Amino acid sequence: MISRHLQTETRRLFLQKTGYGMGTAALSSLVNADSGGANGSSLQQSGLHHAAKAKRVIYIHLVGSPSHLDLFDYKPELQKRTGQLCPDEFFDTSKLAFIREQPSLLGTPREDQFAFRKCGASGMELSNLLPHLQGVADELCLIKTLHTDQFNHAPSQMFLLTGFERFGRPSMGSWVSYGLGSENQNLPGFVVLITGQVLGAGNSAFGSGFLPTVHQGIEFRSQGDPVLYLSNPQGVSPGERKMVVDAVNDLNKVALADVGDPEIATRISQYEMAYRMQTSVPELMNIADEPQSIHEMYGTQPGKTSFANNCLLARRLVERGVRFVQLFDQGWDHHGSVFNSLPGKTKQVDKPIAALIRDLRERGLLDETLVIWSAEFGRTPMAQGAVGNGSGKSKAGRDHHKDAYSVWMAGGGCKAGHVHGATDELGYAIARDPVHVHDFNATILHQLGIDHERLTFRYQGRQFRLTDVHGGVVKDLLA
Amino acid sequence: MANEGPDFGRDIRPILAENCYHCHGPDEQAREAKLRLDTFEGATTGGASGPAIVPGKPEESELIARIFSSDGDEHMPPPSSKRVLSPEQKALLSEWIVAGAKYGKHWAWQKPQRPGVPSVRDSSLVRNPVDAFLLRRLEREGLSYSSEADPALLLRRLFLDLIGLPPTVEEIRAFEDTWANPEEREKYYDQIINRLLSSPRFGERWARPWLDLARYADSNGFQADQLRPSWSYRDWVIRALNANMPFDQFTIEQIAGDLLPDASLDQKVATGFHRTVTCNVEAGVSPEGNRVDQVIDRVNTTATVWLGITLECAQCHDHKYDPFSMEDYYSFFDFFNHTPLEVQLPSNKTDVSHDFIGPYLDLPLTAGQQRQAEDLENRIALLQKSRDDTLKSQEENYLAWERRHSKSVGQHTGWTVLQVTGFSSTGGEKHGILEDGSVLLSGNVPNTATYTVETRSTLSRISQFKLEALATPMLPGNGPGRGDARNPNFVLKEFTVVLRDGKNVTPIRLHRPKATFSQKNWDVAGLIDGRPSTGWAINPQFGKSHWATFELVNPIERKKETTLVFTLPQDWGKGRVIGNLRLSARAEVSNESRLPADLIAILKNPTGERNKAQQKKLRAYFEKESSALKEIDAEIARLKKQRSNIKANQTLVMVEMQKRRTTHILNRGEFLSPGQRVQARTPSILTLSDKSNAATGPANRLALAQWLVNRDNPLTARVAINRWWAELFGNGIVATLEDFGTQSTPPSHPDLLDWLAVEFMDSGWNMKKLLKVMVSSQAYRQSSGVPAGLLEKDPRNILLGRAPRFRLNAERIRDNALAVSGLLSAKMFGEPVMPYQPPGLWRQTGRNEPKWLEETDEDRWRRGIYIVYRRAAPYPSMVNFDAPDRAACSVARARTNTPNQALTLLNDPAFVEMALALADRILLESSSPGTRVQYGFRLAVSRVPDSREQSIIHRLLHERLDHFKAHPKEAENLLSNPHFVYQPQSQNHRELAAWFYVASALLNLDEVITKN
Repeated sequence: MISRHLQTETRRLFLQKTGYGMGTAALSSLVNADSGGANGSSLQQSGLHHAAKAKRVIYIHLVGSPSHLDLFDYKPELQKRTGQLCPDEFFDTSKLAFIREQPSLLGTPREDQFAFRKCGASGMELSNLLPHLQGVADELCLIKTLHTDQFNHAPSQMFLLTGFERFGRPSMGSWVSYGLGSENQNLPGFVVLITGQVLGAGNSAFGSGFLPTVHQGIEFRSQGDPVLYLSNPQGVSPGERKMVVDAVNDLNKVALADVGDPEIATRISQYEMAYRMQTSVPELMNIADEPQSIHEMYGTQPGKTSFANNCLLARRLVERGVRFVQLFDQGWDHHGSVFNSLPGKTKQVDKPIAALIRDLRERGLLDETLVIWSAEFGRTPMAQGAVGNGSGKSKAGRDHHKDAYSVWMAGGGCKAGHVHGATDELGYAIARDPVHVHDFNATILHQLGIDHERLTFRYQGRQFRLTDVHGGVVKDLLA
Repeated sequence: MANEGPDFGRDIRPILAENCYHCHGPDEQAREAKLRLDTFEGATTGGASGPAIVPGKPEESELIARIFSSDGDEHMPPPSSKRVLSPEQKALLSEWIVAGAKYGKHWAWQKPQRPGVPSVRDSSLVRNPVDAFLLRRLEREGLSYSSEADPALLLRRLFLDLIGLPPTVEEIRAFEDTWANPEEREKYYDQIINRLLSSPRFGERWARPWLDLARYADSNGFQADQLRPSWSYRDWVIRALNANMPFDQFTIEQIAGDLLPDASLDQKVATGFHRTVTCNVEAGVSPEGNRVDQVIDRVNTTATVWLGITLECAQCHDHKYDPFSMEDYYSFFDFFNHTPLEVQLPSNKTDVSHDFIGPYLDLPLTAGQQRQAEDLENRIALLQKSRDDTLKSQEENYLAWERRHSKSVGQHTGWTVLQVTGFSSTGGEKHGILEDGSVLLSGNVPNTATYTVETRSTLSRISQFKLEALATPMLPGNGPGRGDARNPNFVLKEFTVVLRDGKNVTPIRLHRPKATFSQKNWDVAGLIDGRPSTGWAINPQFGKSHWATFELVNPIERKKETTLVFTLPQDWGKGRVIGNLRLSARAEVSNESRLPADLIAILKNPTGERNKAQQKKLRAYFEKESSALKEIDAEIARLKKQRSNIKANQTLVMVEMQKRRTTHILNRGEFLSPGQRVQARTPSILTLSDKSNAATGPANRLALAQWLVNRDNPLTARVAINRWWAELFGNGIVATLEDFGTQSTPPSHPDLLDWLAVEFMDSGWNMKKLLKVMVSSQAYRQSSGVPAGLLEKDPRNILLGRAPRFRLNAERIRDNALAVSGLLSAKMFGEPVMPYQPPGLWRQTGRNEPKWLEETDEDRWRRGIYIVYRRAAPYPSMVNFDAPDRAACSVARARTNTPNQALTLLNDPAFVEMALALADRILLESSSPGTRVQYGFRLAVSRVPDSREQSIIHRLLHERLDHFKAHPKEAENLLSNPHFVYQPQSQNHRELAAWFYVASALLNLDEVITKN
């Protein structure tokens, strides 16, 4: 039986050789070492669990959860019945966060701005609120039937991103970093970019739980130091910093020679890497060196904090081999005036996301990069607040909805121009081909060459994994 | 060994548990073919295919047939399980059956017995039984202890382990001196241990791991993550540890202090242990669902902390490996199921979060608070006296004031309408002068217009003007504007007036504008601010008359007639122009306008006819307005406010409800799916023979707590001492600190574990005594050097053939650096502190969002244990060193080694400031330049640097000294870092800047952040 501590030791010795993350061959070294458990048989395996379609992930999480019914899941019947009281069975307060009186149905306004259009060769229906995304519809694999178990933000964010609704479990990015490591030794394997407030689940949404903390998502900030404590104090130049690092390492080398603890060798290499990061990270974050055509395509402005800048940074990160890039964008929780608020938010994200997909495609990176649009849950077909005439001026919003919502993936070996599953005519329940959050997560891991049942970590006497004890790969999504 | 066959606990159970128990284990729901393999009875009586095991006869045992079967349908474990047995494992199972298939009860479920102390070959190395147990194992492997550590390093190790801070240079020297004398050595070592164990710093250091277990934090967690006070609980833990409260009492007070007879305040505060659990106030949360989640956390945390069992696995189904059923789980749950809800629907319906309502306990004022309160009260009393004196001396002034005002209210203070002698408008509309002296506009309505009004006044004195915009049925919507019946607003941009005297034109300066009403963003003050973009408007107060008044900065004094010309520009557009206006003036700005109406009414009564209440009112007003009293009153008010701000602290506590809830098994762990009813009891496998405690009272939290620390409980003592062992020696004797169940790593030294556990209980659960046993052992005193041979043989140092060497945890890294730099504050207890952290890290949404207010006094340099713990954003430099977010119980912290840690120590302004202070300290405390490098090195790592180390440091130092000599401005730039609060005393800034580099390098050494 391999103890957790021996595994830690193995990893430690391994880390010492390879720096921040781990090389591409890490899965064989690590997954085996850590998940071998009592029978030890998986030690004989080598390489990934199966051939990977995707090498890396750009996961865009729209915090608060956008109204998928007005963006991806067109419901003419819901439009027709706007203003009618919803069927009794829809009014289940144990599943509604805010609605407390029997609500009316609320369809997408019948106005050009909100109209759906069949796009591309696939004829995928997308809202006019996403004109640029319409242009890359043939790259999308749209899932209309994701469902989750939680309907409050923080628990639902944790459920989606860690597979468990309470604190303490590793996030998906951490699992991926743990399984695959980073391809770039100067950068973390899991980078987080945030616009707006931090989400309700806080750092737990990208935390490493019981996995070693090297796998936690590291936030790269667009204001102040991109990585905390990256810049030198006032009056200390890079050359002078190097002097300190050299002196520290020279002294540490003396200690290593005397004491012999391999941990000191690791420390020495981490100081060297820290010094390199002081150059490589600002370089990475400096999007000013991109050509004007790129800035026009994304709508980026160097020096600003914006979702568009984060999309471009995501491309730069995956280009440099970062394994898992997660974008969080706050401000999608439209309980009121959804038709007034939604266009403003889609305007911020539509162009840069479409640009990201195009840019990755043009660089030949899309095939091996999985791009994901996701949220913690969907929104109700019932109105929160008075429907009015149901036009774009209506003050009504939509409540949290866990039973069916839409997300999409692009690239990374997913079917392109594909729509999976369908909801009923009012968009309340799933009509066919449901995809549970655990299935979704299992599928994402699958594309990375990971068997979600075998990427495990032993803790508290049992093997934990991202999908708890559930989930199955949704084969229909795979190209 | 061979003739005994494989050991069930060590060799067989792990194989069965990992590969078979999933379907053939304790979980009844998941059991396949009615076969269970976790008990002898189950395995030998068998399921659907007969007995799985026939003891002594592997060839007749179905289990063996199945694991060797090549038939995919027959083969076990089934291929779909993706579990595969190795040939060695299959052989072990066969051997075990040959030897009789003996099942043993898992060691951890059996109570520890005091083992005999073994004898060893080299008994000179045995200082106490700990060494005997460790050496016996080492000698069996052909190994022994390493040599004794260098005394300086040993002392540093002891200090860091027991109080979390390094020794001072004087303490090291004294220790080294005494160490050289073998006769004094042991006595002195013993004395130092005793001194450290009784230091107040002890509790601060040992509270940290306990607060990780207690998932203690200063915020609720989740969406809004507001702060709420429970730091009195943190202080309770520090005090209890310092007082060496016996661990059984420590347990009982935290689990059930509120239920003790005549519970003291402290015993209630102790129950904060289970109130530190996270709490979701998000709007959509069900208060009941939140409560159930909290109880689940309390159950799981209690099981982990005291029992080292993963009871949580039985939340949704019977445990897969350990003998805990769902019924066990929810029976345990019942102990905690009788405290009130902690959130309720929001008081304000539109709020996005619930109210946090959990029970608080008001604490008495602290001694410091009490002193402060008394001091304030004394000062207030003194001021009151001086106020009374002042008042007496003011009596004459009061009488004069009263006379003056009584007279003035009787005076004529009315307005005189100014006679209009000329009117023109750029709008070209018609106008007429009405009987009341006002101007009425009619005819076309121009978009914009500027009125010029010429008036004549016969007043000998003018100190105030009034402009009236009058409502009248002659205007659309009754006016006062002309443009629009639905919106009869006007927008007047400026109000200017000049005095014309022949050809002389004198502008009149106006101030103190007032109006009946001003529209938002169109305040009447805009009329006289000289800016054409601002002005006065009255939306939505249409249909009524409005006025604006202006005082003259210099009142007009004239014997003869005066001509005044007013200009009223109204260029907003859409006909927002005044339809009917009137201008007036008066000689005096009436006093009455300054007095409240009720006072004027009183003053209008003749002096003799005012009743007592009225007189009192006048006097009160005078006192309020009197400048002499105003100052005193302001001071009194300020002090009173300070006094009222001294509030009793509050803390979160457990409170048992009178009316108990009924507890049910929750199917799939969901609170909306209650199943069979259960009642409080402890897990069946852990039923104790000694029922004395349980029998005496109701099955409540108190009974649970007493059961946890019952002498017969097989787990509590082992689990506790195992964690302390790991704190000191790096690994637990049971490596899986969080799990002692059947899936745990078997103890490396089972006898040592049991000896320590029994010793602990026999000592009266005396924690300090147990720690003393551990640090007094020769094992503890070894060198931590890592010889290559030993590293290969025992990479994890399980056998302890050397002292452990590992990185300090986050708090100790901070505390140690603060102590080395000389900045460390010794202040204990109290509200959490906020030292430097980079801006912009606290960005949660929601009500009452707390702000990070950086400390600028000694609180900035307090120990890490006092830093505010906000779950969504814990202190970032500590997170970089693996501090958890405290959202859930955390038994062991990782010890990673990352570049972010290097960046933290190099660049975090908190550490940069410490480097500055260390540089200053070295220069001040070591007067001779020749010894400074040695002194600084000693401060940092306790030992003296050797020649190689000295030369590396000298190289850096001299390069820097030369550099700053040549570039003195760079030294100033370095030292003027805006993050520095510390004020260095060294006058030679070039030298200080050079030493800053050396100090920073020292604080970054691997050895500084390592216990070795």
